[in-house]
Amino acid sequence: MNWTCEQTEARLSDYLDGFLQPAEQTAFDLHVNACARCTPLVASVSHVLGALHTLEPVEPSQQLVNSILTATLGPQSWRNAKRWLRSIQSPRFVYGVVSVAATFIVILTASGFSWRKPKLADLAPATIYRKAEGQAHVVYARGMKFFSDMRVVYEIQSRLRQDNNLPTTPESTVPQSSPNGQPGRTDKTNPSSPRQQNRADEIGRNLQVLAAECPMLTGFFGERRVP
Amino acid sequence: MEQDAQLVQQCLQGDGSAWEELVRRHTRRIFNICYRFTGNRTESEDLSQDVFLRVYRTLGSYRSAHGGFATWMTSVTRNLLIDHYRRTKRDRITDSLDDKMPVVENKESAGRRPDEQALLGELSSQVQSALTRLSPELREAVILRDLQQLEYGEIQRVLAVPEGTVKSRINRGRIELARVLQQMGVRPS
Repeated sequence: MNWTCEQTEARLSDYLDGFLQPAEQTAFDLHVNACARCTPLVASVSHVLGALHTLEPVEPSQQLVNSILTATLGPQSWRNAKRWLRSIQSPRFVYGVVSVAATFIVILTASGFSWRKPKLADLAPATIYRKAEGQAHVVYARGMKFFSDMRVVYEIQSRLRQDNNLPTTPESTVPQSSPNGQPGRTDKTNPSSPRQQNRADEIGRNLQVLAAECPMLTGFFGERRVP
Repeated sequence: MEQDAQLVQQCLQGDGSAWEELVRRHTRRIFNICYRFTGNRTESEDLSQDVFLRVYRTLGSYRSAHGGFATWMTSVTRNLLIDHYRRTKRDRITDSLDDKMPVVENKESAGRRPDEQALLGELSSQVQSALTRLSPELREAVILRDLQQLEYGEIQRVLAVPEGTVKSRINRGRIELARVLQQMGVRPS
């Protein structure tokens, strides 16, 4: 392959970057080694390339980044404020704020704070504490009263259930078309036996005793038919 | 590269910290391109700031499908540098010699003797000075290839010229740089 000085100059970068084909590389080397014009050219450009690669990166001043950020995002204080605003948009922060607000509302409501006619004095911690304490006592007393009422009612219900569970005449013993059946009864119920009547009288007496002990239940028993 | 694209997306959603991260990641590289092109530290810092300002304003036009964010940013930098070169062409002729003095990169490299460092610093100054004497087309090609270590394809995207033109400019730039250095009395050792 013939190689000329023009080719050497045109393909010099390919030679230095190692992009020449093997045949081209050989022809290039043969020409450069024999050419008085091309030898110094290749040497000087190789030297330049080496010098370029030894150039160290230059460090910009410390203020450059800040200047760029100020020119684009605004002053440092403004950037900090925006960063803070962005941080409070996180779900965790929002949940926290909502929880605190809900707790505050619950405490205020429990302390008897009037939302329709709010007063600044009602928001004083001492007032809130005093009212909340009073409300807590009221709630506790109501709870205890409700609990004792429930106990009484439960006791009455259990006694009634106990009495209702007493054995009665099996229905199967009375034939449907028995000639002993009372004429005119169409509800298919059996007439009360003397024993059942006695048991009902006993329940009625027990209820009257309970009503005497618990005046609050008077109305409750008053509605029930005492046999 | 993917991280850059992700940061860009966050920026477009209004995340200022993502923009801060992008600025910190690319400031040094952009500043070096500007510095190698102009040879002036103050001008380079002003130009770097302009580059980021323009990038910030046109961030919405960046498409990751058209290449990496770094390449796109380099392209913006190159356009600004060419604009700056044309704008200041007349001023440069009357510039004082002091302002043109390049910064000597006297960073202490490990394993080099003081005399070697001094020689290296001098050579760096001469190369920087020679670079600023090249035409802007050849200068930008050499800077992108030999200082920023970009591939031919990336340079092609940055300069928006065919690959053949890129190769030709790099080749001519290196030969021209060697010629300028010879004129300055720098010869291969």
